[in-house]
Amino acid sequence: MAFGTLGSILVTGLAMGAVYALIGITYNLMFAASRVMSFTAGQLGMLGGVLGSLFALRLGLPLVPSFLLTLAGCAAVGVITEFIAVRPVLKNLDQHLYVLSTLAVALMIQQVTAIEWSTEPQAFPRLFGLGAGIYDERFWLPVLACALVVAFLEWMQRRTLIGRAFLAVAEDNFAARALGLPERNLRIASFALAGVIGALAGFAGGELMLAFVANGAQLNFYGFVPVALGGLGQNRGAVIGGLALGIFQQAANFLVGGIFASVAVFVVFIVVLLAAPQGLFGTSRMRRV
Amino acid sequence: MTITRREFTLGTAGLAGVASAGLLGPALAQSGTIKIGWLGALTGASSAPGIGFDRGLRYAVEAVNGAGGVKGRMIELVTRDTQGDPTKAVNATQEMISSVKVAAIFGPTNSGEALATTPIMARAKMPNLHPCVVNSLIDPRKYPNSFRIAPSNSQWDDAVRHYCLQVLKIKKVAVIGDTTGYGTTATGDSVAGFKKDGAEVVYTAQIDATQPDMTPDMLRMKNAGAQAIVAWSTSTGMAARLFNARAGLSWDVPFVGHPSLGSGEVGRLIDKPANWDRVYTVNYRSCSFDAQGRLPARTQKFLDQAKGKIDLKDTLLWWVLCGVDVVQLLAKAIETEGTAGPGLIKYFDGLTNYPGLFGDYTWSVTQHNGYPTDEVVMGAANSSKDGALNLAPGYG
Repeated sequence: MAFGTLGSILVTGLAMGAVYALIGITYNLMFAASRVMSFTAGQLGMLGGVLGSLFALRLGLPLVPSFLLTLAGCAAVGVITEFIAVRPVLKNLDQHLYVLSTLAVALMIQQVTAIEWSTEPQAFPRLFGLGAGIYDERFWLPVLACALVVAFLEWMQRRTLIGRAFLAVAEDNFAARALGLPERNLRIASFALAGVIGALAGFAGGELMLAFVANGAQLNFYGFVPVALGGLGQNRGAVIGGLALGIFQQAANFLVGGIFASVAVFVVFIVVLLAAPQGLFGTSRMRRV
Repeated sequence: MTITRREFTLGTAGLAGVASAGLLGPALAQSGTIKIGWLGALTGASSAPGIGFDRGLRYAVEAVNGAGGVKGRMIELVTRDTQGDPTKAVNATQEMISSVKVAAIFGPTNSGEALATTPIMARAKMPNLHPCVVNSLIDPRKYPNSFRIAPSNSQWDDAVRHYCLQVLKIKKVAVIGDTTGYGTTATGDSVAGFKKDGAEVVYTAQIDATQPDMTPDMLRMKNAGAQAIVAWSTSTGMAARLFNARAGLSWDVPFVGHPSLGSGEVGRLIDKPANWDRVYTVNYRSCSFDAQGRLPARTQKFLDQAKGKIDLKDTLLWWVLCGVDVVQLLAKAIETEGTAGPGLIKYFDGLTNYPGLFGDYTWSVTQHNGYPTDEVVMGAANSSKDGALNLAPGYG
């Protein structure tokens, strides 16, 4: 089936929107456990594509081990981030030192990848070889990955003890610690889980975005938009915000094209934040003064 | 004050060290190695050309030294990896001029870096050869020491325009570039050139090279009635996505433009090999196979000599040939004029039809663009073999 204009907007927009949503969830998971906005989220997405290509194409490993090694690698990066960029600044959250520390780690990841991997986009393997045209797997794999992640998080947070513990730490980490919850270990686990979800975004979107070091900065930027639109810590908001962003961005590409598409995206972003500063799905918190 | 034997010995040794470093230095420099500075982006962004030039430079230095050097003096290539970063390029330039004291500098290889280093080299009157394409880098009045040993962007532009209008005989073109400074400038120059020659530019745009789907831009170009797409970008990912989007639209419009369209990276990123058909990229006669699959005799002779010594699988032949030419040309100039900067600049200013491997170079006091325009031709992007391309269809 040939690409029609509407079809192209929808399939590419939804696919990219799903990737943005997953990066938004990555931001949220790290934030919920630590109250830190870690700017390594986009780099985890980039690493998902690069490691996937490294294991599957360059090292020639089968698909399943490549996938699992990619997830494990990004989980390790998530944990390392917690140790070296988050934990040391937790005592001074009000000084926002985490902006510098997490950005520094993000830059290190980017530079090492550029030197050791390539600064040019590299091929990403065809995963299953399913579909063609607008039904090509490159378009629906990110959407499927996003749906599975949302379902898994819902199940974990509603049905499992560890999920409830995550929620408790997210709600009030001092109270959670007072109740005997291993807050530090839960925070490490959260960063590992965020690494896995970031990796999944890059791996599922690899056929569309390729294994490219510049994806890190791109995803950091566009992955933050659904978080701001949907409300900080709101995974459902991030999914809706991400999908809306993807479709709007692709529609803007068709209507105005080139650099103007990015301008259009950020005009809408600013307008939404002016109208609802807490995000579309966020809630304002009372603060005692 | 008393001086112990130990202090006397240390003091004497120190004085001897200072004397040998400072006083005997110039004498050693006169008879020691000839230092040539090489500023290349060998890692990081846009390092592919630097790696290609590096292979040619090292091969040629080894060849010259193996043949006894220049009047018995060996050439020493002093290499600094600039990583495509203008700041690093400026620091390395200052080190080459003030500390290493090289006879001449080749590079940088990226225009962004050269824009920063060229005025510094001009102030130091340092002889400089470089392959950067940005037109403003060559100005014999402002930079009498800088010589371009490759085509300028205007020459690329002329070749692309000539191919579209005279060989493909089309009148409606779309001109696109990426959003970098180079992409924007090159697109603007190209549009102006086509309009000057009476062609109709039906679409022009700067495209974000990282956008995953190029279908929107391809559709707009198709709807505008473009008969050829002229693309100015160094991004291989953007090129591959454009070709994939063209296939998705079942549109057989030709692409003509920047050498990156023919990079081996593109071949690994396209969905299927046929997507790379009808793509014609800037190339050179010295690096083009004719209809019988033969390279020019001079190039073939070099390849036979260098077989097994230079890896040409993942690079472009012209980068390697240009690197070889740089060393041989500098060796010739130093042999004639010595290592003093003014002498070398005078030599280059009087160079006429110097027979290099990459091309025949001619410079004068008023013209420091040394590469002949008629050597710039278009090649079939998907025909790369040992870094050389087949001539694009239409050339005699």
